[in-house]
Amino acid sequence: MKLTKGAKFAFAVVASAGLAVALLSPAQGATRSTVIIHETNPVAGLNCSLSTTNNTTCTDMGTLQGMGFNYYNDKMEIIKNTVFGSYKVVKNSATDFRVQYTVNPGRVWSDGTPITGVDLLLSHVTQSSDYSKAAGLGDPASKTAKPAFNGLGYSGTYDKNIVGVTLSADQMSVTLQYKSPVANWDIYGPGPSPVHALVLLSEGKKALGTAAENLAAKDRFLKAFTSKDTAALKKMGDSWSNDYTITTIDKSTNPLLLVSNGGFIIDSAVAKTTMTLKLNPKYNSGPAMSGSVDTVVFKVIGDGTAATQALANGEIDIYAGQATADAVAALNKISSINVVGAISGAYEHWDLHYDTVDGESAYTGLFKKSDGAKSAALRQAFLLGVPRDEIMTKLIAPINGEKTPLCTTWVKPGNAMYDKICAANGSAAFTRGTQDTRNATAAALVKKYFPDAMKNPIKVRVLVPGNNPRRAAEFALAKANEAKIGFDLVGDVRTDWGSQLGTSAYDAYFFAWVNSSVQQRQSCGLYETNGGNNYVMGYTNTAFDNVCNTLYKPLSDSILSAKYIQAERITNADWITVPVFAHPGVYAINKALKGVKPAPLSPQITWNYWEWSY
Amino acid sequence: MLAFILRRLGILTVILFGSSFILYNLAALSGDPLADLKLSSDPNRDFLIASLTRELQLDVPPPARYFLWIKGIFGIFLGHPNFGKARDGSLVSHSLALAIPVTIRLVLTATILAIIMGIAIGIITALRQYSRFDYAMTFVSFLMFSLPVFWVAVLLKAYLAISFNNFLKNPIVPIGWIIGLGLATAVFWASLIGGTRRTFWIAFGASGIFAAALVATFSATGWFLNPSLGPLVIFALSIGIAYGVTQLSVGLTNRAALKSSLTMSALTLLSYYPANWVFSHHPGTFPILAMAILAIVFAVVSGLAFSKIDRLPIIRTTVLTALLSAGLLLVDKFMRTWQPYMQTDAINYRPVPTVGQRSDLLGNDNWWLSSLDIITHLVLPTLALTLISFAGYIRFSRGTLLDVLNQDYIRTARAKGLSERTVIMRHAFRNTMIPLTTIIVVDFAGIIGGALITENVFGWSGMGTLFRNALFGFDLNLLMGVFFVTASLSVLANLIADLLYSVLDPRIRVGSGG
Repeated sequence: MKLTKGAKFAFAVVASAGLAVALLSPAQGATRSTVIIHETNPVAGLNCSLSTTNNTTCTDMGTLQGMGFNYYNDKMEIIKNTVFGSYKVVKNSATDFRVQYTVNPGRVWSDGTPITGVDLLLSHVTQSSDYSKAAGLGDPASKTAKPAFNGLGYSGTYDKNIVGVTLSADQMSVTLQYKSPVANWDIYGPGPSPVHALVLLSEGKKALGTAAENLAAKDRFLKAFTSKDTAALKKMGDSWSNDYTITTIDKSTNPLLLVSNGGFIIDSAVAKTTMTLKLNPKYNSGPAMSGSVDTVVFKVIGDGTAATQALANGEIDIYAGQATADAVAALNKISSINVVGAISGAYEHWDLHYDTVDGESAYTGLFKKSDGAKSAALRQAFLLGVPRDEIMTKLIAPINGEKTPLCTTWVKPGNAMYDKICAANGSAAFTRGTQDTRNATAAALVKKYFPDAMKNPIKVRVLVPGNNPRRAAEFALAKANEAKIGFDLVGDVRTDWGSQLGTSAYDAYFFAWVNSSVQQRQSCGLYETNGGNNYVMGYTNTAFDNVCNTLYKPLSDSILSAKYIQAERITNADWITVPVFAHPGVYAINKALKGVKPAPLSPQITWNYWEWSY
Repeated sequence: MLAFILRRLGILTVILFGSSFILYNLAALSGDPLADLKLSSDPNRDFLIASLTRELQLDVPPPARYFLWIKGIFGIFLGHPNFGKARDGSLVSHSLALAIPVTIRLVLTATILAIIMGIAIGIITALRQYSRFDYAMTFVSFLMFSLPVFWVAVLLKAYLAISFNNFLKNPIVPIGWIIGLGLATAVFWASLIGGTRRTFWIAFGASGIFAAALVATFSATGWFLNPSLGPLVIFALSIGIAYGVTQLSVGLTNRAALKSSLTMSALTLLSYYPANWVFSHHPGTFPILAMAILAIVFAVVSGLAFSKIDRLPIIRTTVLTALLSAGLLLVDKFMRTWQPYMQTDAINYRPVPTVGQRSDLLGNDNWWLSSLDIITHLVLPTLALTLISFAGYIRFSRGTLLDVLNQDYIRTARAKGLSERTVIMRHAFRNTMIPLTTIIVVDFAGIIGGALITENVFGWSGMGTLFRNALFGFDLNLLMGVFFVTASLSVLANLIADLLYSVLDPRIRVGSGG
């Protein structure tokens, strides 16, 4: 056989027809059961709560291999995972607010160990500075020494308000006690962690324990937790902070590191290149799996064009694309995929300098608050002159089809309150009429204080973020339109613009704020006095602070939207800022793969992996 | 000599530390590692900033931080260098250790191919100066020289990966393509062989018809889905190798060398079935190496048996023939792995990938499948790198050889009646190698530096990617780690080039005048 074929090749004679037919039988593949997801960054470890490992890839991977009490869906709503457990407020007074989390019986880790309330306690250790200090694990706020559990959890709302946790007698429920009612309490709930695996790891074990060993290990954790056993907890903290930072995973990897309760468990990983997850046969902590996907691979491809071609060649199934018009055009040419436009958690906006920012030299520019009505009119004119519709149609619509500019910074489009807020928050000034009529209004305002502004345009110093073609285009559009009303935008293009925000050398800024969760006090930090992110405009307004002070406690949606309207009316009346667009995202998904619904909040792609099917 | 080396090493150390100090500070000033955190509106922003400042010692000003870093590097002299930690918490030395082999795998083949092809074509163009072939190659080399690798990569992926994989679904070559490929081959060989009008057209016709017939046969027999060479073709090619190697090495007039080489061809045919038995029953690198050694032993024995005098060149020729012919057996085995490879679920009839180092879904169970997988992943990046880098070698070796051919000693060699082969291979080519050595050594040092853009467009995570990530992520320790390795190697390569100079050219002495 080999010899005849060799002879045929050598003498290049006519082929035997039968052989040709046999070889040319159509190439048929098996039914696909693998989803290969493109990622830009490699994972740096399996524990995403460390400052060094926390990135989107880790979050995506973590979503597949861990299930908790709730998750965000593609409409930014919190969905309760009733398969895993339930939670409810059990006490609600001004000084004592308690939430009880109960794990449903029968839930198991991937090694078969039952999940109980004990597994919920570790998240308190990694999030409460008070517990860390009390147990002798170190002060997380220290500038010199690292805490034993060297994670990112400390310092948030949970840390500031938590009083303590108690485990129920049947060990299936945990009750969190806060100082006072906290807004968005449901996103601070405890996540389950396989504490028995952590205990065995910290004891130097290299293999999965037996059922009895696992239960005993779980008891040892509970004992160390309740008695604040510094030595034992420190050993666990050491394992938690250091042992999980592996990037190569193969058969020799300690299986204790891979115990989880999600639909998929990690099978193998090649450092900085790929990570492969396989179905977790014991999975029962969340919605039932569709069943036709049994392997998920995260593949790191840094270059956008390379990823597009890999998509065309069938090497990846899900691609979180470069949000540029060219990239989208390239994707649209590939016939085997669906291109889905989306928005991300970041939104672009224009800010005007209002007053001196703490620690900066005095702001004496065009828009300073002390000029009273004059600067207010100029600010109004400037913001009206930002060509928001033009920016949308020219820069954003080609990517995700979105043509309407944002009208509030408090909630995202798609939120149930969005339209209601926009109708009443004073943003109508930015949308009324056309850009030409708004230009006319603005020009009249400018003319009042600078009669010859059209001949001698007023210079406005703008900080332009560098290394960003879209922002360069955005600035060019703004400059062209503002010229029509008498402003001459002088751009200072800087790559280190992040550290220049708020310096008194600029009158206007444009950049994006990034939201990774939905918070009740969403934009308070940007505008309230001493707000965490209020370092750009130097804005203060007592009326605004008063509204924000009422947003700490949980509120119903109807009250909340009224508060947001109230707050945004104040900032809009002061003419300090205007939002333009939510940063566009684009996804490309293999046509054969059903059920992938990109969401604005992290984990954007993987949140509903159980619905994926071929 | 020793004093020279020590003195040079001393100077190199000073250069290394001076440049690293400058680079460290420039890199530290170029951006703020906290920039993206400062734009976060998350509640724990300040905590994150504080914790990163603590991890990266950002509160120490860069010039002072440099000395903290260099303190770790000085550990080299104590045997435990400390390159520090990258921003993702991994040890920089660990990342370097992972990246260097990947980069070597990617760039080594391409560099060697570029050197061999570049020098070979450069020599032929020099010998056929101002011929059609010379002009054609000059055009091609300047074209390749001017192409950016990312663009070449995109084209290669579009045509050789995506379109070729689509073609494999139904691998019938259209008649237009058969004629086109035949014409292209005809033009290439005819201009390469050159000579009178008559030989030109004979070469044109013969190579064109042969190529077209070959492609047509491949298409008709479905060879692309199940390729192989078979023992007879291997034998025929092996005889060709025997003649070619003998001609270049010692000349066909040396009958002993020719007979010895032809024996190797016969031996290759005889070992077809035994070798394939070993391939199937003992897959792996070690048995292949063992067989290669066996081939060398046979070659040496055969060379000794056929030669009476001047044995070394004959043995050298025979060993080369044996290894190249044995390589055909390996190629044949890989060709026959092609079909099972395509049939795996992981590949699913799309065998040429556009990104990555290996297929993520293919297990490691079958050595031949995973080796072929590595090869298919290497094809496109290697091709891209070779295409853009061999142009330089063509121009350089052509120019140097022309220079040498105009020297008096070449005229003398011809005048005393040496054969053209001896004049070119011994007298001219040897002297061409001296200046070429310099660029070859420096290019090899550059290998470790990685092919930054190539790695990026082909999704490989070697040194280039490491450097890129370090640069864009403001990851100072990682950046400096990559810099330190590549800078050390490049200064060492310059030293080695200087030393090789004196070995190749006895007129140059190092250390004199010091």
